[in-house]
Amino acid sequence: MLKLGLGKYRSIVILITLFIVFDIGVLAMTFVISRQLTADAISINLAGQHRYLVQKLAKTALLIDQDATQGTFDSSGKSSLNEVKDLIATADRFNAIIATFDGGAKLPDMTEELALTPSQDTQAAALFALVKDLWEPINAQVQALNQPKDGHRPDVGPLLQVLIPNNLNLLSTSHILTSRLEALSAAKAAKLRAVQMAGMAAALVNFAFILYSFLGQLRKSDSAVERAQRETEDILRTTQEGLFLLDPEFRMGSQTSQALSKILGVEAKGGENFLDLLKPLVTPKTYDTTKEYIELLLRHDVKEKLVASLNPLDCIEISAVRANGALESRFLQIRFNRVLQAEKVTHLLVTANDITRRVKLERELKDSERRVQDQMGMMVHILQADPRQLQDFLRHASDGLNQINEDLRTASPTTGVSTPRIDAMLRIAHRLKGDAAALNLEAVSQSMHAFESVLQELRAQTRRSSEDLLPVAVRVKGLYAEVNAIQDVIARIGQVRGVVSVEPPKPAHDPEIAAQPFVRQWRGFAQQLAKRLGKQVELTYQGLDVDGLSSQLREAVNTSVNQFIRNAVVHGVEAPADRKKRGKSESGHLSVYVSDQGDGTIELSFRDDGRGINPEKIRLAAVRKGRISPEVAKGLDARALTLMIFEPGLSTRDEVDEDAGRGVGLDAVKEMISRLGGRIRIGTTSGEYCHFRVQLPVKAEPNDTNMPDRIKEVA
Amino acid sequence: MALKLMIVDDSNIIRSKINRTLSQHNMEVVASASNGEDAVKLFTTHKPDVVTMDLTMPRMDGLECIRALRKINPGIRILVVSALADKSTAIQALKEGAQGFLCKPFSEADLTEAIEELLGDD
Repeated sequence: MLKLGLGKYRSIVILITLFIVFDIGVLAMTFVISRQLTADAISINLAGQHRYLVQKLAKTALLIDQDATQGTFDSSGKSSLNEVKDLIATADRFNAIIATFDGGAKLPDMTEELALTPSQDTQAAALFALVKDLWEPINAQVQALNQPKDGHRPDVGPLLQVLIPNNLNLLSTSHILTSRLEALSAAKAAKLRAVQMAGMAAALVNFAFILYSFLGQLRKSDSAVERAQRETEDILRTTQEGLFLLDPEFRMGSQTSQALSKILGVEAKGGENFLDLLKPLVTPKTYDTTKEYIELLLRHDVKEKLVASLNPLDCIEISAVRANGALESRFLQIRFNRVLQAEKVTHLLVTANDITRRVKLERELKDSERRVQDQMGMMVHILQADPRQLQDFLRHASDGLNQINEDLRTASPTTGVSTPRIDAMLRIAHRLKGDAAALNLEAVSQSMHAFESVLQELRAQTRRSSEDLLPVAVRVKGLYAEVNAIQDVIARIGQVRGVVSVEPPKPAHDPEIAAQPFVRQWRGFAQQLAKRLGKQVELTYQGLDVDGLSSQLREAVNTSVNQFIRNAVVHGVEAPADRKKRGKSESGHLSVYVSDQGDGTIELSFRDDGRGINPEKIRLAAVRKGRISPEVAKGLDARALTLMIFEPGLSTRDEVDEDAGRGVGLDAVKEMISRLGGRIRIGTTSGEYCHFRVQLPVKAEPNDTNMPDRIKEVA
Repeated sequence: MALKLMIVDDSNIIRSKINRTLSQHNMEVVASASNGEDAVKLFTTHKPDVVTMDLTMPRMDGLECIRALRKINPGIRILVVSALADKSTAIQALKEGAQGFLCKPFSEADLTEAIEELLGDD
């Protein structure tokens, strides 16, 4: 770790070391210099003492001489004896200094060696030699005065003889020597000071350099840290996931992603206790389990992968009250991943996602799967249905779903699908719903109904990007599965028939019905619808054998009749009590007639004796649905209004249910007929009847060849 | 040498499914118990190496049983086989010292994978 840290700061460490070495050097130098200066001061002082000693010697000698000549000499000779002693002591001191300068001895009051001696400099040495020369005779005379006899007057005459002529000379020589030594010391001190200054300057330069490179490095690493922090912030601000770190005390890390609060639906701040935040969102049991789960994750003896499946927050439902007061339910997924450091779990990385969309789609898919699995019930109906009708239905279902799938597949990723395209899808869905209901394929009919609802929702949206088309695609996939399931069931029935003798359903006693499976089916459908709406109807059929028509015509007739039945029973036929009041039979009458016109066309006639079409109701409905403006509506006559029942998206029923109110039925019929090159007419009298007449060419001239003819896999 | 296995589950169907599956995977089923009490008794006599453990059982539940078995042999390897509906019990079981967890319903492949995972630790 230390080695790692040094790598980054290596140059700085080296510079600081250099700086310290410099400093120690300068300090040592200062110490040496100050010591030398002290030592030099002693030398200078000693040299100075010479002058003083010479003067003292002269003064004492003259005093003794004066005493002798003026007779003031103490007869006991005691005082002059003291003076002689003084004289000798002075001379001794002088000698000691000379000895010291010569390097032979050390003065008793000196603690240190001399640093500066006259021998270091030729001029000083010469001066010193002169001092010694001058001093020599004086010293000899002083020493001669030694061993004084009590009572004898000391004779300083010879001393004075040498002292007086040399005194001044010695004094001045000593003075010059002192000055010389002072000059030498000053020169040395100046030199040392210069070195010291240089050292200090170098240290300062070094220091400045350290400062410079250190600041540079600091700035560099600061900007790197800043950049990293900015990146982290960008990530946390932009990510769609709720992200944060959780410590073993369940506290959230200081940095959390911006999406977190939105996903959780509550304000989430760093440093908060995550469990406290969670508490109001989940059940007490989930709360407890979460706590246990996190504790388990923080232990490292349990495998992360193993416990992941036990995450109690893998899918939690959270209810919140929206701004408009509606209760909104969302699904969240909160996952935990271990953050390891040195193989120890230090934190958990928590990821929160809103998975509402996914959960809902999954549920829908499961629903449709469940319906698909309900094959037993379907099998019963399939066994009852006419095989040819069933085959027609399956073919049309495949074609229709292929068409829708193709439209979805080729939809622009940005603008999605156009409204006319959605209308076309709605028509397909509606027709298949009717056909399925007619064949008693309840599950398929329901799925188609749900599919219609999804399409209606999409139609109402302004945004139809690929993401919005996802639910539609999911539905289509489910419908494919259902259609395939029916085919599976048929195949299985075929297998069973091969092994076991299965009797086909016994023909009904009515020969008309027995001969016409279509009529039987229409009648069943009409009865079923009427029963659900609390009405009564009877259906009669006349004309040619529908089964004998080409499959395309058969399908067209069947689809049209089914839609007319729906239209008549839902909108036309009145409730039994109403009919009675109007003097009609309680049971409404639907009559269907298919005839060959002999001119290459067939005519389908469908008539009910219900309340007919009320143009005023259509006028109101068209305005309410925003199809036309009130002004335009005012200008329309009864005929124009009646024809509006073939317009897409118009229904006079307010409620949307499985039977009617979708308003796409008649327009789907009209579209189909015109595609086959046929035409449709309508006749009605309010309160009396409604009559549809459809002409279809026997030889079809399809205007639209876009319909793919085999099932394609869903992308 | 085949590892000795004990199956603890109150469902006869589950017991035979585990037995069938793991017998083919070099494991010898030495005992099976339908409740915790029996499990502890059989554990002492048969000394299995691995135990599969249901959690909700009559007469001593799985958690208590795990505790008892670990007291007898702390080195025992335990695979909890339980419905996911009760996550908190499963978490408890892992805290008690079970090393593996398999969620009911499971396929044979799920079971063998869980056992391999359980034994792959050392």
